[in-house]
Amino acid sequence: MKNNIRKIVGYLLIIPITFVLSCKKLDVPPISSVTSSNFGQSATQIEAAYTASMNFLWGRYYGYADVIFYVFQNDDQWQGGNLVIPANNGDLLWQMHYQALTNINNALLAIKQGRVQGETPQTIAALTGEGKLLRAHNYFNLVRLFGDVPLITEDTPDPANNLMARSSVKDVYTLIVSDLQYAADNLPDSWSNAPGKPTSGTAKSLLAKAYLTMATYPLNDPNYYQKAADAANSVINSGTYALTDSCVNVFKPENKYSREMIWSYNSTYDDRTSSARSWAPSEWLTGGWDGAPVDTAFEHHWTAQPRKDAYLLLGLNGQPYTTAFVTATPYVKKFFYYITESDFNKNQCATNLPIIRYADVLLIYAEAANQANGGPTQAACDAINLVINRANGYVPNAGHPLLTTRMSKQNFDNAVIQERNWELCFEQPDRWFDICRKRILDKVSAPYPQELANYSPNDYLFPIPQADLKTDKLLTQNPGYPTP
Amino acid sequence: MAQKKLVNGVVFDESKVAIPGVTVVQKGTSTGTITDAKGQFSIQVTGKDASLIFSFVGYESKTVSVGDNATFEIKLKESNVELTDVVVVGYGSQKKSSLTGSISSIKGKDLTLLPVQQVSQALQGRSSGVMVLNTSGAPGSDAIIRIRGMNSVNGGNAALIVIDGLQGGTLNSLNPNDIESIEILKDASATAIYGSRGANGVILITTKKGKKGKPMINYDLIIGNQTLRHKIDLMNAGDYARSMNKYRATQDGAGTPPPVFTDGQIVAFDKNGGTDWQNEIFRNAPIQNHQLTVSGATDNVDYLVSGGFVDQQGILINSLYKRYSLRTNLGTEITKKIHFDLYYFGSIENGNVQLVGASMTPFIGGPLSQSLSSALVFYPTLPPYDSNGKYSAAMPGVGPSSSWNPLASAKEPQIANSTVQNNVNANLDFKILKGLTLRITGGAFIRNIKNKSYYNGNTMEGQASALGVGIATYESVLSFNLQNSNILTYDRLFGSKHHLVATVVGEQQYGRNESLSLTASRFAVDLTGANDLGGASQLNSKSSNASERVLNSYLGRVNYTYDDKYLATFSYRGDGSSVFGANNKWGYFPSMSVAWRLSQESFIKELKLFSDLKLRASIGITGNQGIAPYQTLANMVSGANYPYNGRANTDIGFQIANVANPNLKWESTKQTDIGLDFGVYNGRLTLSADYYNKTTSDLLLSKVIPLYTGFTSMLSNVGSIENKGFELALGGDPFVGKFSWNSNFVISFNKNKVLDLGDVTELDFVGSLGGMDIGSGFMQLRVGRSFGEMYGYGFKGIWKTSEAAQAAAYGQLPGTIRWNDANNDGKIDANDIIPIGNSQPKFIFGWNNRFAYGNFDLSVFIQGTQGNQVFNESRIVAESQYAGTSTRLLDSWTPTHENTNVPGYINGSTWNSHPELVSTISLGGDAQRSQRWVEDASYVRVKNITLGYTLPSNLLEKYGISRVKVYGSATNMFTITKYTGYDPEVSSFNDNDAQIGIDLGTYPTAKTITFGINLTF
Repeated sequence: MKNNIRKIVGYLLIIPITFVLSCKKLDVPPISSVTSSNFGQSATQIEAAYTASMNFLWGRYYGYADVIFYVFQNDDQWQGGNLVIPANNGDLLWQMHYQALTNINNALLAIKQGRVQGETPQTIAALTGEGKLLRAHNYFNLVRLFGDVPLITEDTPDPANNLMARSSVKDVYTLIVSDLQYAADNLPDSWSNAPGKPTSGTAKSLLAKAYLTMATYPLNDPNYYQKAADAANSVINSGTYALTDSCVNVFKPENKYSREMIWSYNSTYDDRTSSARSWAPSEWLTGGWDGAPVDTAFEHHWTAQPRKDAYLLLGLNGQPYTTAFVTATPYVKKFFYYITESDFNKNQCATNLPIIRYADVLLIYAEAANQANGGPTQAACDAINLVINRANGYVPNAGHPLLTTRMSKQNFDNAVIQERNWELCFEQPDRWFDICRKRILDKVSAPYPQELANYSPNDYLFPIPQADLKTDKLLTQNPGYPTP
Repeated sequence: MAQKKLVNGVVFDESKVAIPGVTVVQKGTSTGTITDAKGQFSIQVTGKDASLIFSFVGYESKTVSVGDNATFEIKLKESNVELTDVVVVGYGSQKKSSLTGSISSIKGKDLTLLPVQQVSQALQGRSSGVMVLNTSGAPGSDAIIRIRGMNSVNGGNAALIVIDGLQGGTLNSLNPNDIESIEILKDASATAIYGSRGANGVILITTKKGKKGKPMINYDLIIGNQTLRHKIDLMNAGDYARSMNKYRATQDGAGTPPPVFTDGQIVAFDKNGGTDWQNEIFRNAPIQNHQLTVSGATDNVDYLVSGGFVDQQGILINSLYKRYSLRTNLGTEITKKIHFDLYYFGSIENGNVQLVGASMTPFIGGPLSQSLSSALVFYPTLPPYDSNGKYSAAMPGVGPSSSWNPLASAKEPQIANSTVQNNVNANLDFKILKGLTLRITGGAFIRNIKNKSYYNGNTMEGQASALGVGIATYESVLSFNLQNSNILTYDRLFGSKHHLVATVVGEQQYGRNESLSLTASRFAVDLTGANDLGGASQLNSKSSNASERVLNSYLGRVNYTYDDKYLATFSYRGDGSSVFGANNKWGYFPSMSVAWRLSQESFIKELKLFSDLKLRASIGITGNQGIAPYQTLANMVSGANYPYNGRANTDIGFQIANVANPNLKWESTKQTDIGLDFGVYNGRLTLSADYYNKTTSDLLLSKVIPLYTGFTSMLSNVGSIENKGFELALGGDPFVGKFSWNSNFVISFNKNKVLDLGDVTELDFVGSLGGMDIGSGFMQLRVGRSFGEMYGYGFKGIWKTSEAAQAAAYGQLPGTIRWNDANNDGKIDANDIIPIGNSQPKFIFGWNNRFAYGNFDLSVFIQGTQGNQVFNESRIVAESQYAGTSTRLLDSWTPTHENTNVPGYINGSTWNSHPELVSTISLGGDAQRSQRWVEDASYVRVKNITLGYTLPSNLLEKYGISRVKVYGSATNMFTITKYTGYDPEVSSFNDNDAQIGIDLGTYPTAKTITFGINLTF
């Protein structure tokens, strides 16, 4: 009997033994793919995440290379626009910025959790700075386009399972400012062999712009003018940047990483930007696509100066645009005129779209210093005059004179805004943001009474996408736009 | 002193035929004898009150008391084999009479009646509730098998295949000859024991083992010939030329254009008929199948070794399938209490069928580059080779000018697909105590696939360019599944009435899958292709992948029978799987069933009517794992590149591909089933009927999430689908005796309905390849409707001259297509898209008949479907006016021939003369999603007729041969159907069950005539 029992127990023990010894765990980690929770173990991997985030914003036929052709029609530079803003106008922008942010936040989390191996604290700080700058760039655009937006950082609990409400504009700017300040303090002034990467100068320039926007609509806090001026000034005094000698050379392909370009959306021949043909008229070489006709009223108001001819295509073969082009409008030269004929005809070009350049910083300084001081300072005039002088080809131009400290604060301010309109034309979405922060949409639409009839102060914000309003009831729509 | 008496007699069966070999034993003694060849016996019985017991396999034993008699005539009754049959169930076996679940059982010998090469083909029409769809006639192709309808959208609907207890096998590599029996588990009570993998039904395969008795050597040979079953009716060269000219003449908007073919050419075409491209690419294809099996058993060892060779050429030129297989099933009694089995199966399959239908990958030029599609539209007026000896090229500007020579597309691609399958299985059985057994099993499926192809300069894909020639693909997959099951079974009869069987199992499974795929092009030399990828100057794509999965399970089952009358089964399984999300790693699947054997009740026995009468009911929950490994995690993928550094070359970007969902879990199916089994006339007529109701919920579908998460959707468990149905299996022996007829009929009805799709009300599926003018969402799943729904524009015929005014309202002329204005708004646009067809049948059936007379036997197997439709996409180009080859074009509308469904040829100038006609028809790129191409694909097919003759045994005894049978067989010979394509049993798009029902360039079915010989030594 005992024998039997022993035998039974012996046999029965075989089961748990064979089981436990060879039991494989149920948490099987992937062997051919990486997951977001173990990604980011080296600087290269972190930068791969940053690279992906920029890919969402800029690529062939998508991102800012594509969206700008139709969502900013209502400014005074693009021809067309009727101030009837459709409910889906902001959809692509919203989606691509948040796609970028998801990947940036994941990378920042990886750094925060100490996953990055084998790098000095300095490198890690610089890596963090890059991520924060990219995050600030995305939120800066989001807050200017939509106003209050859901604020997601690396600390936010999983948004896919925790619905979010819109955070106030003020809170978003608080994050933007703190991110850019960190970046300014921790990014190097330049990277060796990487002219396209953001630097401390990039951070300071963006910070200056952010401060300037905080000083105007919607926050309207004049204390920020001085901060904007200081930030812009530190960029000017760094000596890193300088204006290109002539307007004609600013957008030449060989100058895409010149001392004037602080940070751009980059392109290369194996990762091309959108086609140059989108910008060109159909009469140009083998034919453009008439995608960017310039508003004729805009052209009329532009006083004669070398810069106008450098930036706008006003005619062809001796004919003015009214007869040379089937659309009877001018075209902007910046992104197609200066590339080689062969590149244009083969439909390949690698032009960058500047996000911020030195001319912009000079103008920010001028505007901020003027406002902070209650009137133009000499430094303010000097800054803007660099731009004006270059625009005039370094000769006096009565139709486009240099500015002096004798001007009133308001007139100087108007002149700065007008200078921005010309200098930064079609480097979207700069003009749209200037119109919104200075609240001049009705003024610039004045030449078109039919358009003006559709104007309302609600037009300064894009609608929140219907898809998100449907899936997240905590989100509210911007006034004047439909809810699902 | 014991009395001794000599008793003798004869034993007959019910038809008065003497039975030799019957055992005659005096009850209570060891005195016994057996009947001789004439059924006679003689035995000395001792003592008073002696009784004799007569017993023989297959007959009910009879006990007779001797009394005063000395001579007996004993009639033995055949025992109802059905009821004592043992049926394999999950983790064990049961007598058929004590089953409480819904299980179909198919004996191996019934499978081999049909000369098939694939097990899946053999299953068709044999079991109620099982649909087998042969989507393609290509040799070696697999069939789609669905048990009781389709449950899932994204999780897969294939049944679990269990081979000798090893889960997760494939049917195709198996040799049908090796199979002892197939059990198909259908309801929850039978399938819940497989837990998270049982929702789609389970197919249990048990292979043969050596049987006691003298060793047997079996040799089977089948040789035969296959031909194209049905040819599409296409025009000859003369009619085609006239048709092309007729079309060209309609392009007269700016003056009369010159005709495509001159009268002289047409006269020549009429004389020589032109090229019949179907004849060029199809051929008679031989098939041969050799099987050799050696098996036997001694007291301690049983063995079965079988080898097989199949060589099947395909009816499309340059296509074939070969399979070499070897099986050794060994068993040995190590001691009285320990038994060991070892099964090994290995097979090598080589095939070279090219990608057809919708499996054509993007690099292949689409339908027009692929021979089966282009043969239907290529110019009959062109010879296969031109005057330079090169393949004729398409005529520019006429007809399908971007298509490729069908003969070249069939002949030139070099394809080598090979699969090596190794199945190993070992069991160790311990008899621990009386009634308590432990089985420890270990097994592995190892599968190695290597597919190579090279499309050389004579194909459209590989045609020469300035940079090189040819395109090659190389794909390699290694997958293996390991399994260890430890099964403890306790089987005990308490008293005489309580029978309890309890089973407890602990099981673990591990699977690993590795794949590599390369595509390279622009070779300098047009020869070596995939065997020398270094010769390619461009690597088009490269990818590799590896994944693992783990499944740990605990399960138990209790069967309780009271007095052989009242039966109950309860089972429970817990599955812990690595593919489930972190918060839902373990799933639990219970089931319960009861049955009442009315035939054992005295009030039924008194009726003397039923040999079997059973009522059963079951309910339970099963699951479908459905989730791919790592799908619950947020995976990173490469590809989002951008020149972040601003250098001359772009930088690699890695992005998060999907949102993590730690809550993701299996799809869950709740099924109830009630069934009735009865047998009358002593089992000569049996019936088994089931009604079932299944609801599958927690479907794996995309749930829409806010865009600010960085994604648009997340894979979640939302949505549900319902399947309700009725199955019937009738079996009968209308005739027994010298002439016998055994008949089996199965019929299944299934109604499928989508109940919920989560956030959306419809899901779109691709129904076409580019360029066919069918937009997305041709096949759709909609809430409230079933799988297989086609959405498009209704077709109401052709406008007649008498309807000119109505036609004008749409801007049309008589002779053009009359679309269905579904919403009656005077326009034909996207709002008029309605359901135009459904590929799900109302019912499917199979009818098997076996007639035997003396040494002859005849089997006739009929199967079919009713109520299903197929979208015949191949007709779109074949019946177009600009490129049409179909003879239907000869029936086109003219003012004097209005009774037709083929639009007329209307000149551009005629349109120009009606400037008042303003078209309200805007179909966009969707003009061909028309009901015109939807056809009824119901069919009844005499699938197989086999006539066999077994040589009389006395002729062969002296040669040592115990049995020889010769037979002739015809497969797919007769089909009744209205479908005009190659075969009504077809499906080209099969990635998702929602796409089934479209015919575009699929490999046609063959009809086969074979002769076979069966030798047993």
